[in-house]
Amino acid sequence: MTDGPMTNLSVSIGGGLTLKNPVMTASGTFGYGDIYASYLDLSLLGAVVVKGLSLKPRMGNPPPRIMETPSGMLNAVGLQNIGVEAFIEEKLPFLRSFQVPVIVNIFGESVEEYGEVAGILDRIEGIHALEVNISCPNIKRGGITFGTDPSAAAEVTRRVKEATRLPVIVKLTPNVTDIGAIARRVEEAGADAISLINTLRGMSVDVEKYVPHLAVVTGGLSGPAIRPVALRMVWEVRQAVSLPIIGIGGIANARDALEFLIVGASAVQVGTANFINPRATLEVLEGLRSFMERKGIVDIGEIIGSLRIRLEEER
Amino acid sequence: MAGTRQVMTAVILRQQEVLPGHFLMTLSCTPGMATPPSPGQFVMIRRMGEEHPFLFRPFSIYFSSFPRGEDRLDLFYRVAGRGTEIFSRMAKGEKLAIIGPLGRGFTVFPEKKTLLLAGGGMGIAPLYCLAAALRDRLEKGGGSVTAYFGCRNADFLPVLKKFAPLCSSLRISTDDGSYGFKGTVVELIRSDLHQYDPAGTVIYGCGPRPMLKSLSALGRKYGMAGQVSVEERMACGVGACLGCAVPVKTADGDTAYVRVCREGPVFDFDAFQG
Repeated sequence: MTDGPMTNLSVSIGGGLTLKNPVMTASGTFGYGDIYASYLDLSLLGAVVVKGLSLKPRMGNPPPRIMETPSGMLNAVGLQNIGVEAFIEEKLPFLRSFQVPVIVNIFGESVEEYGEVAGILDRIEGIHALEVNISCPNIKRGGITFGTDPSAAAEVTRRVKEATRLPVIVKLTPNVTDIGAIARRVEEAGADAISLINTLRGMSVDVEKYVPHLAVVTGGLSGPAIRPVALRMVWEVRQAVSLPIIGIGGIANARDALEFLIVGASAVQVGTANFINPRATLEVLEGLRSFMERKGIVDIGEIIGSLRIRLEEER
Repeated sequence: MAGTRQVMTAVILRQQEVLPGHFLMTLSCTPGMATPPSPGQFVMIRRMGEEHPFLFRPFSIYFSSFPRGEDRLDLFYRVAGRGTEIFSRMAKGEKLAIIGPLGRGFTVFPEKKTLLLAGGGMGIAPLYCLAAALRDRLEKGGGSVTAYFGCRNADFLPVLKKFAPLCSSLRISTDDGSYGFKGTVVELIRSDLHQYDPAGTVIYGCGPRPMLKSLSALGRKYGMAGQVSVEERMACGVGACLGCAVPVKTADGDTAYVRVCREGPVFDFDAFQG
């Protein structure tokens, strides 16, 4: 699995952070890196993005929490996590033993909490960037999701930036009308990169029992079913901002990843596919290499944003 | 640090409809499993190379053996949804992707001499694996194994009778009274409970959630140790997705959600909350 001398897969994802390749894991699908370490060599990945962390541990939602849907799944885990302190003490030492950048996904219920979590992680050795999940309810403002409100999204971004020297990636929710507008505000607020998309809100019903399949009624849709929506949104954000973009949404193989890179993402995250194939990330990586060899592409940068649109013909 | 666990390939050796809608599928896994499965553990299976069903499905292990160095697994299941419906139509020679063995199985306590198995409906699957593993101990005179099974009606008897050579005795209840005790399996156990010394007895249960709830409540009430094997929908089966959470009582008396795939699927009576 060594790179040929002629193939450069390294990408810059903002804030001075360069990854040896553009393939990482998506938060919430890879635990704290410990789960899948016996299935693949983590050090081959571009980065590991760990499960979202909050200031205090969170119990999560009651079961049932998941349901399979056509080419995807709904989840309503409810941001269950061990809390930032336990992560640092119990999980980070193991992750540090691999030669792989660690990106920590964080969230809060208030702007202040985002800042606090970011501040705690800022002082910790072995963390390479923060990914800010803004798809959570703002408790102080009646539970409206930060990521659906442009000024709240900007406020969270600013606060996290103030609290840390680490590169800050803001992860956008797709449950908005104009994702480009949110992306612009996040860029203005100082984000180093943007990742998208988080899950799409969905629902599924057991018709025999007249009950929703998820205990909390609605959940987040992920998997190949959302890929075309994710790709369209990455395209929109590409046109709205100049920040590096990390594409997420139903990526299971190299062809999927290439779609995102061509549209303008500098890197990708593999999420739900890990559940079906724990080595999906490495297979994406291998597939990217063989694509580049086949096309005679030396630097992956040649692929990023290479979409050709035949507007001339339409006129 | 190279990966040591992997998604394996399983070939279907046999697919038998034991009862209408109930299938016994025999698989041969290559390469062999990293560790031999223990009773109560499960595997995740998925149709090889197909897009549907999307996710792996968890199946408890009904029986495992290792002829000529290959891993052979029997899975006993009822067609209950799209996944099991698709599996039931798969034929000998077809391939499955398989991950396992997974989870924490039953604990065998050397000091407990009286072992009660309590199965409701399809809950007998992991108990068959357990009974088979306990057979040696039983033959060497290491106490007794009594199997209590509850089912809707007498149609299920051919499946239950397979336990006869593995147990000291077999006690059966049916909902409609068409065979054995009329009522639930937990009611049947309660009616026999005076025969057992609580300190020397352990109960192993698997079945529908309400049954496990009343079984663990019964055990706690009479001071009998026991374990239940729990079912929950899963996405990954290995602990990453947190989809299969169930509430348990922690050592300090709080409630926490833990993963059926990792901390379970077998839980002590004291921890299980239904």
